[in-house]
Amino acid sequence: MHADAQSLAADAGQGHESHAAARTPQPYVHPYLAGFGLGLVLLASFVIMGRGLGASGAFSSVIAGGIDAVAPAHAQGNAFYGEYLGDGSRSPLMDWLVFEVLGVFVGGFLSGLLAGRFKKEIGRGPAITSGKRLVLAFIGGGILGFGSKLARGCMSGQALTGGALLNVGSWAAMMCIFAGAYAVAYFVRRQWQ
Amino acid sequence: MNAPLFKFGLFGDNVGLIFAFVIGIAFGFALERAGFGNVRKLTAQFYFTDLAVFKVMFTAIVTAMTGLFYLAWIGFVDLSQVYLTDTYIVPQAVGGLLLGVGFVVGGYCPGTSCVAVSTGKIDAVVFLVGIVAGIFAFGEMFPLLESFYNATPMGRITLPELLHVPYGVVVFLVILMAVGGFAGATWVEKTMAAKKGGQTA
Amino acid sequence: MNEIVSTRTNPMIDPAIHIWGWEIPVYLFLGGLVAGMMMISGYFLFRGRQKEMATSCLTLPLLSVVLLSLGMFALFLDLAHRWYFWRMYMTFQPASPMSWGSWILLLVYPALLANALIRPPAWLTARIPALVTLSERIGTRSATVKFIGIANMLLGAMLGVYTGVLLSAFGARPLWNSSILGLLFLTSGLSSAAAFVHLVARDEFEQKLLAKADNAFLTAEIVIIGMFLIGLLSSTAVHIEAAQLLLSGPFAPVFWVFVIGLGIVIPLIVQSLAVNHKVAHTPVAPILVVLGGLILRFVIVQAGQVSHWTRLFPSH
Repeated sequence: MHADAQSLAADAGQGHESHAAARTPQPYVHPYLAGFGLGLVLLASFVIMGRGLGASGAFSSVIAGGIDAVAPAHAQGNAFYGEYLGDGSRSPLMDWLVFEVLGVFVGGFLSGLLAGRFKKEIGRGPAITSGKRLVLAFIGGGILGFGSKLARGCMSGQALTGGALLNVGSWAAMMCIFAGAYAVAYFVRRQWQ
Repeated sequence: MNAPLFKFGLFGDNVGLIFAFVIGIAFGFALERAGFGNVRKLTAQFYFTDLAVFKVMFTAIVTAMTGLFYLAWIGFVDLSQVYLTDTYIVPQAVGGLLLGVGFVVGGYCPGTSCVAVSTGKIDAVVFLVGIVAGIFAFGEMFPLLESFYNATPMGRITLPELLHVPYGVVVFLVILMAVGGFAGATWVEKTMAAKKGGQTA
Repeated sequence: MNEIVSTRTNPMIDPAIHIWGWEIPVYLFLGGLVAGMMMISGYFLFRGRQKEMATSCLTLPLLSVVLLSLGMFALFLDLAHRWYFWRMYMTFQPASPMSWGSWILLLVYPALLANALIRPPAWLTARIPALVTLSERIGTRSATVKFIGIANMLLGAMLGVYTGVLLSAFGARPLWNSSILGLLFLTSGLSSAAAFVHLVARDEFEQKLLAKADNAFLTAEIVIIGMFLIGLLSSTAVHIEAAQLLLSGPFAPVFWVFVIGLGIVIPLIVQSLAVNHKVAHTPVAPILVVLGGLILRFVIVQAGQVSHWTRLFPSH
């Protein structure tokens, strides 16, 4: 495990440059410790709010709100957007997941800054150009966005939250996430390895 | 005092949003600490070189599941008040497959892409734009998809209810499975490292 | 069909509640920001440090003129009788904050222009060469420079306090009915102005000094917001209800998350770590401070218009 952490640190440090005094990024936290922390956050969410974590729902709220602002008749006539718009008494942006995801950005920023890992770059393997990587990122995001609505949640909402609650649909979705990813991994290996 | 605190009326929707922000900060912090803002670490999972995604995720699931089970057992948390999405097994399975494909093609999932954006990763910004496009496409196609989206409804159902075994037994089985998985994952990582002859992933 | 609410809670009896849109908050924010900029550049002039504090003393005065004019334009858009604004200058009413404000605003412009004249930018002197001799005449007299510095600090403080007093003079809005609002808006203006210099200054020394100053202003702002809320909470039932709008009511999410969290606490943490060399300097923190200052004005103005002596709105 120790060697593992070291290689990760070296990996994360690859080509790192900071305009502040030479600051090498800290290694990542051990997976079990990070998982325990993540689990406690999830547990806190259950105890405080009676609901788990999520991410994709926040984007749906933002999209529904955006469409409602541009074409209200179109948005309100669509059952999918309607679910996020509610009865219209409150902005769809005043939503639990929207505020939670806002916090995710902030928490990620603080952690990255503290660990010296904040760096403007394109994350990719050595064998792919930046342009191709960005095209694949968009395609992947599109497939994932579509799938997250069909699955009624994403990795945080279904796999993590539903997994901990022993929800049947969530476990089915989780298994299929791994199945889908492993099935296609071979074809996009040049992007990462 | 009983939990979930929100469901027992300790505070309202407005204060709930403040908690959402604070919980979100902790969530994002934990994800970044785990290395989930790094796309190569995330996808290494699917090439068996670094199974941190599996380890972090299942440690988190086991922690939250066991903690919740314990808190419900001592009577602090009312499990029936914890929100559970209804199960629609076939669309969710198909959605899960798409999520997996999108994950390995794009490199992130929605939560981790937010963390990657906040640590300056340009590809994650593009990935987020892709998610928005995907959800928008889903929303626009919803009239066509609606019947499939609502197919095979099973209602609010958990594994213990499905299998007709006590909740605690399933919790125990999941813990066993996770521990076995961790041992297997570590073995796979070592084998792959040996195979690559000490090459860094 | 015209439905008439038979109780008194209807627009035909009580006057319109929400009459201020985006114009007033924007004006109050820009006024506060300019006030902070005047105090900062005035302070460095007074201390004779205008050469090392290039951004504070060179960029801020001219930028202030532009920002204040934009703010005044927003205010002008909000006026019902736009073309009679000049009548404000036909009289002086010592009991009216609006009268004070219009005269302060009139005096602020010459102070800012005098400030800008000490070191006029190259693009301006190229067009108007006469400015060079004028600025030399001012700049070589340190007593004059000090006087301009004092005038900028004083008028800046008055402008900043006035943006708050403008609201607290409304007795009919319990949320605004606090004399500390002037101090709050002044401090918020100072923190936004310091953050702005932190953001745009090229000189590392100036950048760091203003980041440190910003941390002090932000800390003071938290204390003042605390006092503001305690003051309301220890007052009458309507004042308590007004404070609840921010603490747990419909404005609570925006107030706590955007004003306190993103606008003060998080930038304060990030900037404190940065000045102590724990993390790299990032423009994110000062941007958050400036946005937080803007959102503070929006929250106070909007929530203030909802707060009322009679129960117009069902309690949350």
